[in-house]
Amino acid sequence: MNILSALGATIIAQFEALGGYLLFVGKSATAGFLPPYRVRLLLKQMHFVGVESLTIVVITSIFTGMVFAIQAEIGFSQFGANGLIGGIVALSLTRELSPVLTALMVNGRVGSAMAAELGTMRVTEQVDALESMAIDPMQYLVAPRVLASIVMVPALTMIFNVIGLAGCWYVAVQQLQVPEGGFWARIWWFVDEDDVLGGCFKGAVFGFILSSIGCYQGFHTRGGAEGVGRATTRAVVISGVLILTSDYFLTRILAPLSVG
Amino acid sequence: MQTAIQETPGIQITALKKAFGQQQVLDGVDLEVPRGKITVVIGRSGTGKSVLLKHVMGLIVPDSGSVRVGNDLLADLGPRALRNVRFRFGMVFQNAALFDSMDVFENVAFPLREHGIEHGLHPGQQGTPLGTARLRGRAREAAIRERVEGMLAAVGLRDMGYKAVSELSGGMRKRVGLARALVRGPEFLLYDEPTTGLDPIMTAQIDNLIRATQDANPGITSLVISHDMAASFRIADHMAMLYEGKIRMNGTPAEIRSTADPVVRQFIEGRLDGPIPLG
Repeated sequence: MNILSALGATIIAQFEALGGYLLFVGKSATAGFLPPYRVRLLLKQMHFVGVESLTIVVITSIFTGMVFAIQAEIGFSQFGANGLIGGIVALSLTRELSPVLTALMVNGRVGSAMAAELGTMRVTEQVDALESMAIDPMQYLVAPRVLASIVMVPALTMIFNVIGLAGCWYVAVQQLQVPEGGFWARIWWFVDEDDVLGGCFKGAVFGFILSSIGCYQGFHTRGGAEGVGRATTRAVVISGVLILTSDYFLTRILAPLSVG
Repeated sequence: MQTAIQETPGIQITALKKAFGQQQVLDGVDLEVPRGKITVVIGRSGTGKSVLLKHVMGLIVPDSGSVRVGNDLLADLGPRALRNVRFRFGMVFQNAALFDSMDVFENVAFPLREHGIEHGLHPGQQGTPLGTARLRGRAREAAIRERVEGMLAAVGLRDMGYKAVSELSGGMRKRVGLARALVRGPEFLLYDEPTTGLDPIMTAQIDNLIRATQDANPGITSLVISHDMAASFRIADHMAMLYEGKIRMNGTPAEIRSTADPVVRQFIEGRLDGPIPLG
């Protein structure tokens, strides 16, 4: 009986948390569409999410492209198909690696920062101060962060594609002597605009996930510095898991659309 | 004019109840905060004084009971109307709650940038009303600068606008918080433990500032939450003690000082022996 009641309480708590999160998302979406429009705050967050994440995205993408070129060469050289390296790596990057790795890197940098910043504002009563000044914190703090992430994570995904491909080109063409003409020809043959757009769509969904979870955790922080630490950890872990699990479902939805 | 100010209703709290989980924090609070006066609510730490203050601003929804601000019953108001009521408030938070991403000047200028400089000062407040014309561009920026610098000078922080929040002492933070609360000319001014954690000299300085602000702006209705007895007696026009979720006593400082109620006596004298349980 005790086990059953404990299980029931856990399930109810999970549904309460889910309901709370959905309400939070609904409120922030509503707040984002209502005036005053916070263009300056949006641009500031776009700079933070996008421009300031460029270094980690460039480093991650170039090495991912290079590593995948080496790994692909190991497999394809066994049946003399080195010319496929460019196409296969480009397809992997545009469809999967770029959106997922970009989102995971941005989550580590931006999702955690959002949870920590909003959490600190919550425990030091800065959020209450905003409300006391008749300013909607959902509109002032949450909506610009979520919108900036939805716009900038796909943009970073595109940059990941380009730089990752450059890394792949360097290893495949310059080091492994893959013919350059065949390298590019296979990319044009394998990859079409649906793959790129699908990857960007995934990036937008991942951007929404990491920012809304980061803001939600920060916004509901309790209990001082320890609470801020817990909120930050929860934000990164939950977003990371959700990015990877939602990637499966997004792939199931998008894969049939890009056939042919 | 003083009479006219005092005839308009202040804040009326009726049978207010609020529980968090199993803990009944407020258990039927009845309190009237008269217009144009300083009312101090005293009580032990953790008795729900700050919760009471947040109810007054509509930041917390009560389980039952009501809060009336002027002629507005908060429970009847939608989000937009509630925001319009909050518009009439200024709040000084316990730890100032300054925005650490901004410097001192920007903290004080923030309410003006958000809601506009064009709102005139409340009737009875000292200072020059800025008129109702919508200011733009350089004229707006100049008006904001003039107003903010005037406020900083009024709280003894002239030429400190450039300082980062992290560079400020506890007393300076409180004064910046007060300047930010006052800058738009609020009708109601709420203070959440304004002197907690300050040294006696700084405490007296903040008390003087609260009293001087009230005397200079007789239109303001002030509600102060405190457990500092000396400070409370220095600034209060009216006092009320919150005990076990209810208002135990309500009266003038003289009435509180001379009461025979053993609970109030033990609290104001700071004695260990008496009916108030320790812990």
